[in-house]
Amino acid sequence: MVNWISSLPNMSAYGTPTYFIYLLIAILPLGIGLYFGKRFSWYEALISLVFLFLMFDGSNTTQMLSLIVYVIYQTCLVMWYYHYRQQKNASGVFYLLVFLSLLPIIIVKFTPAMVGHNSLLGFLGISYLTFRAAGTIIETRDGAVKELNWWKFIRFMVFMPTITSGPIDRYRRFSKDYRQVPSREKYLQLVEKGIKYLFIGFLYKFIIDYFFAQRWLPFAERMALSQGHHLSWWVVAVAYLYSCDLYFDFAGYSLFAVAISYFMGVETPMNFNLPFLSKNIKEFWNRWHMSLSFWFRDYIFMRFVFTATKKHWFKNRNVLSSVAYMINMITMGFWHGVTWYYILYGCLHGLALVVDDAWLRYKRKNLKGLKSTALTQNVARFITFNFVVFSFLIFSGFLNTLFFGGH
Amino acid sequence: MTNRQRLWRIFGPVIVACLLVVVVLAIPWHSHHSQRTLQKAAVSISPTVFKNRSIKVQAMSDHKVKYVPFFGSSELNRMDRFHPSVMAARYHNYRPFLFGARGTQSLPQLFNMNMMQAQMKNKKAVFIISPQWFVKQGVLPDAFKYYNGTYANLLWLKQANPKSKYDRYTAKRLVKLLGDNGSVGSYSQKIAAGKPLSKWDRHWINFKLGILRNEDNLFSGLAINSNYQRRIQPRIHQLPKFYNYADLQASASRDARRQTTNNNFHVLNRFYNSRIRQAKGLRNSQKHFSYLRSPEYGDLEVVLNQMAKTHTNVIFMITPVNAWWEKYTGLSMPMYYHTADKIKYQLRSQGFNNILDYSHRGDEPGFMQDTIHIGWKGWVDFDHSVAPFIEHKQPQPHYHMDSAFLSKKWRNLKPTKKNLQNFQQTELNH
Repeated sequence: MVNWISSLPNMSAYGTPTYFIYLLIAILPLGIGLYFGKRFSWYEALISLVFLFLMFDGSNTTQMLSLIVYVIYQTCLVMWYYHYRQQKNASGVFYLLVFLSLLPIIIVKFTPAMVGHNSLLGFLGISYLTFRAAGTIIETRDGAVKELNWWKFIRFMVFMPTITSGPIDRYRRFSKDYRQVPSREKYLQLVEKGIKYLFIGFLYKFIIDYFFAQRWLPFAERMALSQGHHLSWWVVAVAYLYSCDLYFDFAGYSLFAVAISYFMGVETPMNFNLPFLSKNIKEFWNRWHMSLSFWFRDYIFMRFVFTATKKHWFKNRNVLSSVAYMINMITMGFWHGVTWYYILYGCLHGLALVVDDAWLRYKRKNLKGLKSTALTQNVARFITFNFVVFSFLIFSGFLNTLFFGGH
Repeated sequence: MTNRQRLWRIFGPVIVACLLVVVVLAIPWHSHHSQRTLQKAAVSISPTVFKNRSIKVQAMSDHKVKYVPFFGSSELNRMDRFHPSVMAARYHNYRPFLFGARGTQSLPQLFNMNMMQAQMKNKKAVFIISPQWFVKQGVLPDAFKYYNGTYANLLWLKQANPKSKYDRYTAKRLVKLLGDNGSVGSYSQKIAAGKPLSKWDRHWINFKLGILRNEDNLFSGLAINSNYQRRIQPRIHQLPKFYNYADLQASASRDARRQTTNNNFHVLNRFYNSRIRQAKGLRNSQKHFSYLRSPEYGDLEVVLNQMAKTHTNVIFMITPVNAWWEKYTGLSMPMYYHTADKIKYQLRSQGFNNILDYSHRGDEPGFMQDTIHIGWKGWVDFDHSVAPFIEHKQPQPHYHMDSAFLSKKWRNLKPTKKNLQNFQQTELNH
């Protein structure tokens, strides 16, 4: 059977314009249904399954098995905890469940660093599914999740438009969308926005990013490497080109995911909001990969701050927030993968947030006369953008290739 | 606003846009490229020209200008004033159409040739073989993909014969290099297994080819690089007006001496500065290189078969390596000569007798421009042999193909005298 599956065509999500033709034809009946106030759940499940299957068939068959096992595992954890939470609320049990929920991704992320090859447990999108599952457990503990149904939870986990790279939705929000069919007025608004996002996505991913990813970045990388294993002006070019590539690729992808969700009557949250125009690093994280940074903000930063405040771990409020920033960003670094450059990237952004806070305090105290003008704002934008580009150069791993010739 | 108006406002522009795209791609655009475009394309050595069809077909069938295909790889990019394109513009009645750049080995050339099959019939061609292609893993998948596209693949699949050993071999290589995904992968698998394509497959291929042909006609003439204006045209008048072989050799020597002053490898100064000066660990780095066993021998065989099919009269050149450089990197010269012998054996035993073997000439100062590419005197010498072949009438060649050269045995054969004799007796049909 595996043989038969591996002979089928493989279609990675949103990879080619043709993919959209198939996908849009497939969800057309769904749209007509929603327009007339009906949600064809069975049909939606069917096409989701077909497109998920096409993502993971062919040579990715083992990934498909990992995905199935993973979803069953997480569903069991979440359902068990939900039932447990109706009666009891022990912290130990909660932490254990969160740990168990994170266990697969911890194994997957640490395997390459330990063993030198990728873990068999991994599959495309595991990090994003982990956020959804762990987030649901946390919200269950808070009592924010009022009802939890295994089928709905699975649908939330493997919601086709967002499965491989987000945006990261929350179960509470998702299930609310899901329970009700949007009014015709509302649905048409969603479709209108969806089409706009879809076409901006096309522009980003298939036109603009083509130049960055296929033409300019590889050229600059080749030139940088041909200069020898040291820094050169070409490395600077790589930094800027990589940053633009990352943005247009990922923002384009996220726009597709949001647009397709809208067509399916689900208001998946947006992921990017012109991040390179941010005036400081905090604002940057409110505009860049928003669903991820909000997840970290809500479930790591805020929780740590609450716990630390309750238990009086720190006397000084500023020290507390600095430690929280560092923990938050270093965790994010580890989440990207256990390599020196991801972790350094996390540290850098943690430090940048600390410095940003310190600067604001300093400004409030000593620079009262400094007015916010177009000039100061643009200087702030310039500094922020260049810092981000520098951090992305580290994030890209290119320096690893350049200095050590490795991956 | 009524619902209908609302719907029209949302979907109207999308529908109109989709219709426009369909119309533009479905109109069978007439393909006509200007003489200027052909001239530029002939020296552009760009993947776009290589992967598409309309420009080369028009050039090869042009009545005004005689375009001759020069198949090769990275040496075609060494455009000094003795480069064949410059020499031809100054002295000869033909224009080379350059096919190949870094990474185009035999297999990409097969798909390239297949696209202009009719235009190559009973014509002449030049084919430059680099022994460096014959590495253990053969052509790299990335290089292959870069110079090969769905258009070329489908055109090949459309005419592939599942009964032919050659086509089955090529199909197998396609699956190996591109994977078995998508329509090209699955059709190749069928051919490789000796099964014909179904009627439905053919309809699909024809449908896709229709769209790809229109895209080719519409777009491939746009944005051709300026190699001609920058690197060919200005050099034409740097050559003396009248051809004199000895004079050209002398000025080529002079150019070479002037431009190889900063190193002991007899390598172009610029090349030395950018590629060698800073690099580390090159000494003895090629000690274990071997070009004797490679799938490339099989890939070369399908190319030969293609040229036999079109009765193309072809002259081959086997490239040398820079002797000073190879001493430094430790490449085994006996191995290199054996590679050339094995290639020549494969050519000669099937009737491809026009061979310029330069493999022994890498120790002449000025013959090579850098480590593995000929230039200056090498180009003068090359032109001196190739031009008469093209300009004068040649006897019709008689090719007799032997599929034993596709076999694993041949690909992995060490070409000692004894082994070659043995191979001839046991494997070859004549």
